[in-house]
Amino acid sequence: MLNPALLMRTSFFIFLSAFSLSHAQVILPSIESSQLAPELKGRVLIEELNCVACHQADDTLASASRKSPRLSAVGSRVNPDYLRKFIASPHKTKPGTTMPGLSDSLSQQDKESIANEITHFLVSLNKAHVFKQEAPDSVAAAKGNELFHTVGCVACHSPRDPDGKELLLSSSVPLGNLSEKYSHKSLREFLQRPHSVRPSGRMPDLRIPGQDLDRITHYLLKNTRIPGHLAYTTWRGKVWEGLKGDVQPEKAGQTNDLSLTTFQGGNGKVPQHTAIRFNGFLRINTPGTYTFHLEMNGGSLLLNEKEILNEAPSDRRGVKKLTGTANLKQGWNPIEFTYFQTGRNANLKFEMEGPGFKRQTIPPSLFATSDQPIPVVKPLKVDQALAAKGKAHFVNFGCVKCHDDIKATSSDYPELSALKSDKGCLSHGSSSPHFDLTPEQGKLIALALPKASSVTFTDHQLVNKTLTTFNCIACHDREGLGGISPERNPYFTGTSEALGDQGRLPPPLTHVGAKLTKSWLKEILVHGGRQREYLNTRMPLFSEANVGHLVEGFGKVDSLEEATLPKVVNIRESKNAGYEMTGAGGLSCIACHDFNGQKSGGAGALDLIHTTERLQKNWFHLYMRQPSRFHPTVIMPSYWPGGQAIRKEVLNGDTDQQIEALWTYLSDGQRAKNPKGLSRQSRELRVADETVMCRGRGPASYRGIGVGYPERISLVFDSREMNLRHLWKGEFASVNHGSFQLRGDNRITFPEGIPFYRLTDMDASWPYKGKTNHTFPHDHGYQYRGYRLNKEKRPTFLYHYGDISVEDYFEDHLDENGKAYFNRTMTFNTTGPQKKFYFRVASGKKITSGKDGWQIDSLNLRVVGKISGKIRDGDSKELLVPITLPPGKTTLHLEYRW
Amino acid sequence: MVNTILKPLTLGLLGLPTISLAEDLGAMWGTAEAEAEYYPLVEIPIPPEVPMHPGSFEILPDQKLAVGTRRGDIYVLSGVFETPPNPTYELFASGQDEIFGLSWKDGALTATQFGEVTRIKDTNGDGSADQFNALTNNWGYAEGHEFAFGSKHDPDGNIWVALGLSGSYKSHNLFRGWAVKVTPDGKMIPVCSGLRSPGGVAANAEGVMFTIESQGPWNGSCSLKHLKQDHFLGHPASYNWYPFVEGLDAPALEPESNSRLQVEKKRVKELVPPAILFPYIKMGRSISGFQLDETKGKFGPFENQLFFGDYTLSLIMRATTEEINGVWQGACYPFREGLDTGIMNVQFTPKGQLIAGGFTTNRQWPVRGEKPFAIQRLDWTGKTPFEIKEINIRPDGFIFNFTLPVNSAIATDPKTYTLTTYTHNFSAGYGSPEVDHTEPIVKRAVVSDDKLSVRLFIEGIQESHIHDFDLAPMMSAANKPLLHTKAYYTVNEIPAGE
Repeated sequence: MLNPALLMRTSFFIFLSAFSLSHAQVILPSIESSQLAPELKGRVLIEELNCVACHQADDTLASASRKSPRLSAVGSRVNPDYLRKFIASPHKTKPGTTMPGLSDSLSQQDKESIANEITHFLVSLNKAHVFKQEAPDSVAAAKGNELFHTVGCVACHSPRDPDGKELLLSSSVPLGNLSEKYSHKSLREFLQRPHSVRPSGRMPDLRIPGQDLDRITHYLLKNTRIPGHLAYTTWRGKVWEGLKGDVQPEKAGQTNDLSLTTFQGGNGKVPQHTAIRFNGFLRINTPGTYTFHLEMNGGSLLLNEKEILNEAPSDRRGVKKLTGTANLKQGWNPIEFTYFQTGRNANLKFEMEGPGFKRQTIPPSLFATSDQPIPVVKPLKVDQALAAKGKAHFVNFGCVKCHDDIKATSSDYPELSALKSDKGCLSHGSSSPHFDLTPEQGKLIALALPKASSVTFTDHQLVNKTLTTFNCIACHDREGLGGISPERNPYFTGTSEALGDQGRLPPPLTHVGAKLTKSWLKEILVHGGRQREYLNTRMPLFSEANVGHLVEGFGKVDSLEEATLPKVVNIRESKNAGYEMTGAGGLSCIACHDFNGQKSGGAGALDLIHTTERLQKNWFHLYMRQPSRFHPTVIMPSYWPGGQAIRKEVLNGDTDQQIEALWTYLSDGQRAKNPKGLSRQSRELRVADETVMCRGRGPASYRGIGVGYPERISLVFDSREMNLRHLWKGEFASVNHGSFQLRGDNRITFPEGIPFYRLTDMDASWPYKGKTNHTFPHDHGYQYRGYRLNKEKRPTFLYHYGDISVEDYFEDHLDENGKAYFNRTMTFNTTGPQKKFYFRVASGKKITSGKDGWQIDSLNLRVVGKISGKIRDGDSKELLVPITLPPGKTTLHLEYRW
Repeated sequence: MVNTILKPLTLGLLGLPTISLAEDLGAMWGTAEAEAEYYPLVEIPIPPEVPMHPGSFEILPDQKLAVGTRRGDIYVLSGVFETPPNPTYELFASGQDEIFGLSWKDGALTATQFGEVTRIKDTNGDGSADQFNALTNNWGYAEGHEFAFGSKHDPDGNIWVALGLSGSYKSHNLFRGWAVKVTPDGKMIPVCSGLRSPGGVAANAEGVMFTIESQGPWNGSCSLKHLKQDHFLGHPASYNWYPFVEGLDAPALEPESNSRLQVEKKRVKELVPPAILFPYIKMGRSISGFQLDETKGKFGPFENQLFFGDYTLSLIMRATTEEINGVWQGACYPFREGLDTGIMNVQFTPKGQLIAGGFTTNRQWPVRGEKPFAIQRLDWTGKTPFEIKEINIRPDGFIFNFTLPVNSAIATDPKTYTLTTYTHNFSAGYGSPEVDHTEPIVKRAVVSDDKLSVRLFIEGIQESHIHDFDLAPMMSAANKPLLHTKAYYTVNEIPAGE
């Protein structure tokens, strides 16, 4: 595994020399790195600088251009101090920004007062929330550091050294000083929904889970400082052995005093086996000798870096009374107190006594996290007069042209087609906004300008332009257009080392339009589909509007020669050959590839059951014959070297038929029969072509039996009470020893209790196994007798109710719309006549009866044949079907649809 | 530190604090290297795709081995008894609860799983089971601790099931803490109360059924307990189920805590004392499945003895039983240590090998063997180790039987035999230290003509005590030292004079 921290240090030394950035120039790294034609680069620049906002041109340019950040809520998102600074001097505040500065003809003083007025205006727009910073959590930040450098942030932004110094500033999308700019809340919200503030999606949505978003945010804001009383860090684990060994830091933050209030859980208790370290300064008004009285299991106290107390924690005893003294000077004395919540009746009492200070707990006012004052960010009080002036500036300086979520009329500028490359914004003239373009950038724009207002691109150009605009080329190469730069390469890591570079680098996009199906391309680009779970770098989500055209674009541009697709005469034979080849004893594809969610023996290569939904058949044939043609470093061997089959006995050794056989077999997708030798190690049970069962502790007593059916619907039958307890759809279950949990969704739940009962009083409750009716349900005549499996492994449950024997069989079916449902057949067998009993079929909040059945909440239940039902009122209603059995065999058919 | 097989299995469920791995598991016997000369360990390879946490074994026709697992699978293995083993794994059944009992009879496998006893059969001969007849599921099963361990079929076709309590102290659900007998037609007959956390269930050479019990409340150490019909085996939490047994009343008295077995067995007439006490750590910490050696000498000189696995210490022990005054008792002996994982069960093979297998549990409980799961095989090389083969009691001493002739000069010297005795506090608290130590006097040792046994005359045999022997100076006639010098005889009864 690569060690990002180590790499960071290495790259720090290598690239520091290359670090020679003048602060005042626009940085658009994708334009720098792309091998796009200069004219197209100029066009991308015009789009990225949103020239069209002021200089009118055709709609194509307008829709491709990058919209500026939405500002209507900027007052709660960005620190007003930062706003003021940034508006006055954008390039100084955030080197590399595309935001232009105010006209150079203004004095610095004028710029500052204008910036202040605009800030008042912007903050006045926002009534919802006040900008407020929080103390960062250093424990989360450490994890955030790792995430920032692995999940893909550093593909565009600069990696950082352990001190936070940005290492590749000149080739990275700039971030500026985020601690000055954002609060934890606002940055997290932005990272979670970047498109809502920056609708053009250059910053994509990485779909990072909430907890990881928190961590990355804490990392990016780790230099935020806010005043407080005491800083703390907590640890969990075997803290009875101290802070060494198997103990993990949990979180960090600020608290008011040396009590445990901050750390109590929902039950009012500090979780056992927690260690807490408090750090800060203690203010002493009268110098002298102070005595500390503590009650705790274990911990240590340091004052002015001198140990006053130290008691090793132990899980084998209770709290101890401890005393220590220290000579303290007037003013701020550094204090560090480590406390262990362990042992019997763990608790903390912390008191101090000294000159003029009678024995008591220390109030928060005597603690501070720093002995130096930390400035407080005060919310900006909007001055309406200033805001009004600011609004005028916002219009007059043309801010409103780009930040057009704020509606206001403004004056017109020359049309794009009329622009000269040596005038206005492009000159260093004094009256225009100041973009700080490099001479090269100026030249590129000059090249593109004559045609920029109306140009038609070839499909090829359009694809390449989009890949550059969205910096796809930071991660993917495509015929030399871009690709991962050598200095960023080490940050691309993965979890399957055995796959080599393929296990850590995002796939190249060369030929992708001839490789992937359109539906899968769309799934990846706009729905966040993801197959390569072993890549640590996450494929982000872009919007349909921004990149949707690539789905068609790739298809138009890419083509490969046509492979020979053989005609399959006997589909069954072909499928079976595919099955044999995939498994152990065949080509053993599953030795490296996952299959239907089951991990492979080794490499963890792509799950095979998605093959036909992802890939074009033509490409599959070409690839299988010679994988190295498409990936020079691929570890997948060729099983048909020189077009000759290695396995001569399969399908007469016909190469095309063999490859086609794999395709026909895999085209069954999740229903493909599990190949021989497939691992059963996964705790997630997957259903393929046969029913899968599990049982034990879980969603229905300790004797529940879970059954997952091939049509991807499942049920739990409780063998303790002989009743159906759950129906659901999608994934089946996960198991752990003798327990299982349901997965999937659309769950229908049935109440606990026996299925049949001779209810004599309609107000009586339906019997179920309580904690103390120990012989239930045998005392109601029930006896479970097991089950038998048919050829498809579907179980028929067997049980007795008195002298009635019951066979209970569920079968999965698809309706005319392809929706799965259960058909249940209950066969009753009795020798003598049976007195009427009720079958409680279901219960729910709302039960209505229809033509051929009932609707019980979201469950539609049909009975085949004429059967009456009784809806019993109650807290939850019950559907009871009266049953009278003649001697012999009686069958009841039910259908469960939901 | 507490000992039980149940702890490792359920710590996760109960959310108890995990135990430090640094914990000392106790000294090893230190004999592994010497043992390997007679009983080398052979590893049975497990393919990576097979989730194999073995809980029970059974021999099938055609030299196949069935393995029941914690995950509820039954695998059928061929080629396990070959040298070197060349196993293939076929999945016979899945979707059961944790399987800690497997027995083949009349073309079907009967599995004891936590919730039921199930007769599992492949009726269409495709190698995969299709019939799962629940013989009974009529015991309570509603808490994490409530395990069930099953025997092989007895001669009448019954399966005996030992049902652990709901934890260490309580019995919340029907027949927890009892042993029950399940007949071939699915009747469940309660046998006896008083169990705490039993492991395996098996019969001795006389066909009498025993279970292995874990140290804990009312159990000073692990022990082998006789499943005697209508009797009580020591832990009173399961008294509450007597009203559910037709024609059997609860014992009139409950045992008193902080007493001694020898006192309480006289007070509570239904109380059957453990047949063999296994002194804690010296002889196992979490003894699990066991089986009788019926290999007719193929496994060496220990025909008709019982062989036990131990979970925590990853070792194998053996024991011999005898019935004195209607009460079973006997001795236990070290056999083989240094196995790879926590041993859950053992099984003799038709070739006279001993299969041992098990697992460790997610670092929640210390196990000496470091593999997360394993199946191993002990093969006898054909060389006879010099061992104490069996100890039998006499009114005034013991007879020591050896596997090889002894050096008469050493064997006749009473100083060759160091003997201490001790017992445990019989209490509701957890486990017990060894208490009431005595040092009986070995007065005389008489070697038999064939030099294969020694008659010891002893003054001060203690009823209800473990008799802890150390024969360190003993040498064989060929002047070889004993492979294991220790043996532990539990005296419940002293036979009347001859």
